[in-house]
Amino acid sequence: MRVKQLVWLRRISQGFFLFLFLFLLAESRLPQKIFLEYSVVFTSEQDIRISWPIRFFFQLDPLVGLSSLLSGHRLITGFIWGAIVLFLTMFLGRAFCGFICPLGTINHLVSRLKPSLKGDRLIRANQKSPGQKFKYFVLIALLIASVLTLNLTGLMDPISLLFRSLALAVVPSVGIGLSSFFHAMANSDIKFLNYLSYGGEVLLAPIFGYESQAYQTGWFIGLLFLFILFLNRIRARFWCRVLCPLGALLGVFARFGLLTLKKDQEKCTNCGLCSQFCQGAACPEPGNDWQPTECITCFNCSNVCPEHALSFRLKWRLNLNKAPDMGRRAVLGGILAGVSLPFLGKLDGRVEKVSDSRLIRPPGAVPEEEFITLCQRCGLCMKVCPTNAINPTLGEAGMAGFWTPRLIMTMGYCEYTCTLCGSVCPIGAIREISVKEKIERPIKIGAAFIDRGKCLPWSGNAPCIVCEEHCPTSPKAIYLRREMVKTRNGRPLEMQLPFVDLKRCVGCGICENKCPIKGDAAIKVIAAGESRSLKNQILL
Amino acid sequence: MDLYTPVGRRETIKKLLYMGGSILFANLLVDSLPSSLATKLGPENSGFIVEGIGKQKGYSVTQLVRRVFDAAGGIDHFISRGDVVAIKPNISWARSPGLAATTNPEVLRAVVELCQEAGAKKVRIVDHTIHDARRCFAITGAGRVARETGAELVFPRSSLMRKMKIGGVRLDTWPVFTPIVEADKLINIPIAKHHSLSKLTLGMKNWIGAVGGSRWVLHQDINQSIVDLARFFNPTLTLIDAIRIMTRNGPSGGKKEYVAKKDVLILSNDPVAADARAALLFGKRPADLGFIRLGKRWGLGTFDFRQLQQKKVHI
Repeated sequence: MRVKQLVWLRRISQGFFLFLFLFLLAESRLPQKIFLEYSVVFTSEQDIRISWPIRFFFQLDPLVGLSSLLSGHRLITGFIWGAIVLFLTMFLGRAFCGFICPLGTINHLVSRLKPSLKGDRLIRANQKSPGQKFKYFVLIALLIASVLTLNLTGLMDPISLLFRSLALAVVPSVGIGLSSFFHAMANSDIKFLNYLSYGGEVLLAPIFGYESQAYQTGWFIGLLFLFILFLNRIRARFWCRVLCPLGALLGVFARFGLLTLKKDQEKCTNCGLCSQFCQGAACPEPGNDWQPTECITCFNCSNVCPEHALSFRLKWRLNLNKAPDMGRRAVLGGILAGVSLPFLGKLDGRVEKVSDSRLIRPPGAVPEEEFITLCQRCGLCMKVCPTNAINPTLGEAGMAGFWTPRLIMTMGYCEYTCTLCGSVCPIGAIREISVKEKIERPIKIGAAFIDRGKCLPWSGNAPCIVCEEHCPTSPKAIYLRREMVKTRNGRPLEMQLPFVDLKRCVGCGICENKCPIKGDAAIKVIAAGESRSLKNQILL
Repeated sequence: MDLYTPVGRRETIKKLLYMGGSILFANLLVDSLPSSLATKLGPENSGFIVEGIGKQKGYSVTQLVRRVFDAAGGIDHFISRGDVVAIKPNISWARSPGLAATTNPEVLRAVVELCQEAGAKKVRIVDHTIHDARRCFAITGAGRVARETGAELVFPRSSLMRKMKIGGVRLDTWPVFTPIVEADKLINIPIAKHHSLSKLTLGMKNWIGAVGGSRWVLHQDINQSIVDLARFFNPTLTLIDAIRIMTRNGPSGGKKEYVAKKDVLILSNDPVAADARAALLFGKRPADLGFIRLGKRWGLGTFDFRQLQQKKVHI
């Protein structure tokens, strides 16, 4: 194949996979057009599922599969895709980085659009540097921590990172901007603008959310993402060269030089164009050893060479590549960090001793000790949650559980017959459950308690039955009792007072969400009593 | 008309006189017409209440809806060609129709189809749901009705809520779901079910699902809030779905045991009378329900059925 065609093949592939990633991200939501046949669903509640394979990129990512195998001892569904990628990497090098990885594509695009360096300085910047060993440190630390039962891979894994950044920061922030724009138009007195706003919302709301979505620590996720994009001004694809643990893993696996860069020393005029366009700092120029573990197979070098001194060849003879240049420090440091992380992570006692009462995990979540060996913190469950209840944690799950999912009932609540989060979790940290199981077992995520000092009827302020009205269990976990309370001037007044029956309460949090006392409701759900934990039971 | 020659003073005065005279004449003409022509024709002239009962086993709900409307004088009496019709079912809970927490989709479909046959320009299904709207639309069957009939199912976006003057006793201004008020005709199709504060949720209470804002504070004076909203929305017709009613654990229900099959539809242009008739199905006296008493007091209607044209149909 001609070099020109190879470069275009790469661009098309990058464009296709980036588009696919964004499309699947947009489809990671409660389907908008679902029409159940009502004459057949008269008795049981239906499970609503997303028909697109929105977990595809997580299955394709071998680091996700490998880390959950090491830490949680389980093979994720569709792990075969990751295995295929690893297998191909052995022969073709880091083709995943160059052809598929959507974060790589975005980095590529950003570094290409506005390189900060030019000419000689760019050539010098694209020489292999010791800093590139850092990604091996990251990889080793993450994998060793995984073996020692703390899976932090998702913090640095490019697919998880990109999904989290886009779903929890970029999309909601665009959504907030758009919705305030549409609100302004809807409030105008010009009818045409009203229609325009309505039409715009109908078109864009499926992607950017119907009401403005918001996520705890969303600003921080967004800031980190901007920072990663900014790093491309220092070095092209800085993230891919220096930081990416998946890149490191694929580099380690690029063992057999089936695809090699053939250099013709005699034709070379030392113009340096190949280095100038090299994305991975893989020493393409003749005279140096080409670094197959750093090369992301972008084919730029052979494409730009005016003398045709460089060419990629498929050699049908297996010869072992040079081992990746990790350096002893990166390896030792990685081991040290990997060993210390799980212990540091558990020092705050959130995992072993007692969990934070605010740590309400999604329905179907596995027990906490197992949860932190699996959760990738990718944000998929948070993105699909129709009420925006699932949020990334800050400190509620301790350092070990940073950015893992947690329900915040003032943001949303868990819908009684919704089981979407478990059905999308790529790892199975949240089990896939059916509506029947959720209701009939039942799966409790916490328990509600009434603050009588704040409660309107309990404090003698006003009649209110909002929590009882919304309680979805049958019979209702929140019940009312007619009792006398005293008004301010001591006059007796009959009120319906709410009580919680802990046996029936599943902790869905709709009571807290709808309570007229906003922000810090008079009825609140805490994680105590969640059915996933044996330690955290209230009732006998 | 010649636009180039200037109009003289005399000409101007003459034209103004002609115009004034014709306005005066038109006014006189309208005033002298018999009052029945100036107001509405047919049975809406006075209050009516039609009760439809499905007696046969396996009767068609669609047919029952049609019979009820026919008994009231036909849908054409209420819906004119080219009208924008807003239909307000109660689809607030993501519960399947058999649990009687939401309006029966077959009733909804029949009313949508009737309006379309009467030549309505657009039929909207509007409800500000409590559970996530997409899930409500899917599970209650409203989504399917909208897709198959071509009615517009409006997503309750917050941009569609607009503060309006309610002018009630309790509520002065409140954010209102605009597609409801911007329609020519409004049909209320609630389901009859139990409620722990207002005792029952019927037609008038359905308007709590037509407003936005922090509507859960309305419960602090629920009866007056219901009546204020019912006066503000003032529907053309109320059709209470009592095919299945929920007798306990309302308004969300959730179990088959709470559902009673009554096979009744109540159609009226008097919102108080419709609610009062439906209350009897639960074995409750209309006068015992606060919002029905208040509704009568504020002139919304009556629960003295003798004042109305009463009709019964059954299939």
